Amino acid sequence: MLLVLSEEQKAHLGCLPRAGGAAVGELGRLALELLRRGAAPRACEAAARKLNVGVDTVQHGVEGLTYLLTESSKLMISETDFQDSIHVLGFSDELNKLLLQLYLDNRKEIRSILGELTPKLPSYHNLEWRLDVQLASRSLRQQIKPAVTIKLHLNQHEDQTAQVLQTDPSTLLHLIQQLEQALGEMKTNHCRRIVRNMK
Amino acid sequence: QRFRFCGDLDCPDWVLAEISTLAKISSVKLKLICAQVLRDLLGEAMEYEKILKLTSDARLESGDVKATIAVLGFILSSAAKHNVDGESLSSELQQLGLPKEHAGGLCRSYEEKQSSLQDRLRACSLRLSRLGSVGWRVDYTLSSSELQEVNEPLVHLSFHLRDGERGGTAAVPMALSAYKFRVLLA
Repeated sequence: MLLVLSEEQKAHLGCLPRAGGAAVGELGRLALELLRRGAAPRACEAAARKLNVGVDTVQHGVEGLTYLLTESSKLMISETDFQDSIHVLGFSDELNKLLLQLYLDNRKEIRSILGELTPKLPSYHNLEWRLDVQLASRSLRQQIKPAVTIKLHLNQHEDQTAQVLQTDPSTLLHLIQQLEQALGEMKTNHCRRIVRNMK
Repeated sequence: QRFRFCGDLDCPDWVLAEISTLAKISSVKLKLICAQVLRDLLGEAMEYEKILKLTSDARLESGDVKATIAVLGFILSSAAKHNVDGESLSSELQQLGLPKEHAGGLCRSYEEKQSSLQDRLRACSLRLSRLGSVGWRVDYTLSSSELQEVNEPLVHLSFHLRDGERGGTAAVPMALSAYKFRVLLA
């Protein structure tokens, strides 16, 4: 599968052959830092001064490289496809080999970073519970009413929330039965067939 | 097979697996490590470097050290949770394969701290919110824009609540007439 680069991106990457081999290594490192930690304008300025080119050129080069690396890693394209995709840019063989090496070395890490970008639902953190028996209330004395109080702690994007729920023991047993039925669904033939095919 | 310290259920597999790691440490050092784990369970700081020094002789990897702390924490807190006495805990641990001196040392540390551990677990139990304090004030309304002679007492109450872990305080203020206040007290 070939990568299609827009005219703008080709222009961005067009600065690479002028910069030379060492510069491409430096820009590659900046692109990876951009993926790991986000934009670093000061690092781009420092690189621009070292390589004696404008800050904008460095910025565009880094962005172009980032796009190239993320799209290739996302689609997991093979070496030949990668080489064919960048062939259209008309770079020297040495530059092509450098870019290929950059892609292959960092593919796995970029894929793991991209994997974390999916939207997340609140996830389980902790469950506290308490069993009480209500013996009397203002309206009615001499009762026996058991109740289970549950505090569910959830985590979402480093935010912690807690939900307080209360139920009687028979509803809790019903809840447990429903959850066990849901787990039991994994053992049906239908699910087993799918799991086998995924492996 | 059912164990009292696991709440009359089967012993978890990971606990069974770590018993052999515990047996690798000498019984004297195990008792000292127990003391550190008990400090952590009681809410004081645990000195991890001391535990590392004590386990260095047995040449445990860092994963094994953490597993040791985890399994000791589980055994001690679970035994306190189900109110198991030292003797029964010792015999159950020996059934799991822990050597006699190790089990004896562990249970002696446990017995010393059993009641403080249970007090601490009781304090950590789920509490939704607590009443911190109540503030009150009684006013006497002389007159208002509606009626020239009112002559009524008014009670102001403020309940200060403390939320368990977040440690915040919330104030619930209310104003009651004398009649409503008497209904509240009745």
